[in-house]
Amino acid sequence: MTSSTTDVGPIERLRSSVPGLDQILGGGLFRTGVYIIQGLPGCGKTILANQICYGHVAEGGSAVYVTLLAESHSRMIQHLSTLSFFDVKAFPDRLAYISAFHELESAGLKGLMTVLRREMRTRKVGVLVLDGLVAASEGASDLDLKKFIHELQSIAVLQDCTVLLLTSGNIHRMAAEHTMVDGLIEVEDTLFDARSERSIHVRKFRGAGPLRGKHSLRIDNDGITVFPRIESLYRGAMQETAGTAAATTGIASLDRLLAIGGVPEASSTVVIGSTGTGKTTMGLQFLHASSADEPGLHLSFFEGPERLRTKARSLGRDLAPLEANGAVELMWQSPGEALLDEIADRLLSAVARRQVRRLVIDGLSGFLESAVYQERITRFFSCLVNELRSRHVTVLMTLETRDVLSSVVSMPWGVSGLVDNLFFLRFVHDEGEVERLLTIIKMRDTDYQAGLRRLRIDSQGMHIAGTYRADGDVIPSAQPVASSEGPAPSPSN
Amino acid sequence: MKTILVVDDELGSAEVLSLILEEEGYRAFCAVNGQLALIQAREVVPDLVIVDYMMPLMNGAEFSRELRRDPQFSHTKIILNSGLPEVAIRDHFDNYDAFLRKPFKVETLLELVERFVGR
Repeated sequence: MTSSTTDVGPIERLRSSVPGLDQILGGGLFRTGVYIIQGLPGCGKTILANQICYGHVAEGGSAVYVTLLAESHSRMIQHLSTLSFFDVKAFPDRLAYISAFHELESAGLKGLMTVLRREMRTRKVGVLVLDGLVAASEGASDLDLKKFIHELQSIAVLQDCTVLLLTSGNIHRMAAEHTMVDGLIEVEDTLFDARSERSIHVRKFRGAGPLRGKHSLRIDNDGITVFPRIESLYRGAMQETAGTAAATTGIASLDRLLAIGGVPEASSTVVIGSTGTGKTTMGLQFLHASSADEPGLHLSFFEGPERLRTKARSLGRDLAPLEANGAVELMWQSPGEALLDEIADRLLSAVARRQVRRLVIDGLSGFLESAVYQERITRFFSCLVNELRSRHVTVLMTLETRDVLSSVVSMPWGVSGLVDNLFFLRFVHDEGEVERLLTIIKMRDTDYQAGLRRLRIDSQGMHIAGTYRADGDVIPSAQPVASSEGPAPSPSN
Repeated sequence: MKTILVVDDELGSAEVLSLILEEEGYRAFCAVNGQLALIQAREVVPDLVIVDYMMPLMNGAEFSRELRRDPQFSHTKIILNSGLPEVAIRDHFDNYDAFLRKPFKVETLLELVERFVGR
């Protein structure tokens, strides 16, 4: 009598080659799992399934894409051939598109199963896609469909094949097949006013805890990229501000107003003020204090790198040598229809790549405007700031207020509570002159000299030029007022 | 009357082509995979087969090889077609008379058909 025993370990994962997907699945789809990918036509499920197939082929595996009543193979190949992952060399040995509609029509689910079983066996495929589960389920009873999926699961295990079932079925309907499969992934394209945003949501995933909720998804020439929602990605413990070591603001006379000679390292500072008050200037001086040991990064939503270089030069601060030796990187982000989590991903990747220690985010409103769910903003920034703190990055962010010459300023919802330090820049009229003033509103855990300071900007840069003593008719309020009534910035009193 | 067998797994493709060919005065048959096509071919002994490349059970290359092995089809012309470029296929099978990249215009196909089997 012979017997064969093998150690049974955890089920292996299938690396998907869809950036971000394995991250939200906690490591990837399980090999031999049967998954439903569901979404309305045009949401991107065909590209998602194809990208998984081509990724598996690129890793040396093989895949088969079986259609029922879907777009024609030649049309699908035409569309896919414009994407970077398309590889014509994969055909026909490692990837094939076949239709099983005839077998379904003539012999029902049994006929379809015969084709699938045969394809898995003869081609030894690691990934099988069945596109058109709706067509397969038409006319079949719930029990038939459950038996079909159960049989598919048995074959998938025996053949070491991961199966993806694509369907445009109703997302919100509780379907019989949903109870049977190992996972249910929804892809959506939602309209927000004139703008639309794609998302992916893992509704069910046996055997692991995926990152819950909806995550943004982009389709471009490289196919699909998933951007995990940073609130779900970085949900670790709150990072306390590290120590009391100081990071210079890049403005010596400002450092002198701060008890430790700068802002605390790994703290976050918001510079708030109306247009022209010197926020970008302050950011550039902070950036210019970067070095090879303390690399700096500048993320700008509005002014491009060339304008920033020119501006820095006019302040007596040439960025060229710092850029040349890698101490400084200027990163421009189009304020167009970027995804909030995509920008965060780009930012955090750039921080990790160069081990950035000093970060300027010039134009926080660029982030605010990228959010389709405004109620996310507070949680989003809280996680972003916390993550940057845990990476020992000292952050200076600028935020523009609407009112140029107002004495009362409203803060975007929740921002003041998220940051450690808050500087307020403004213009005042004084005997026919317009002056810039700086007020340190808040420094977390360190002392500072309060009061109104004159701010001068010249060819030597920005510096504090003494204390401003108002006569009472210029600045009725020296404090920004937090707007607490909702996400949209609005004047309050 | 010349006999043509159209082989394609995608719904409608084979049926539509065979209807057009019938309108053009040919005797046309269709099949949805290589296995069924082989059975059909032995019955009708076509002068020309128009065969898709990627199909379940038996693909266009496997079917065409079987056809080429059988002396009763020594006169049968083969037009292979696929959504893939010819270069992706030639390494696996090249014993065809013509290759058509999908999607193609019906005039292109009819010209080829006329060249191979006349009207």
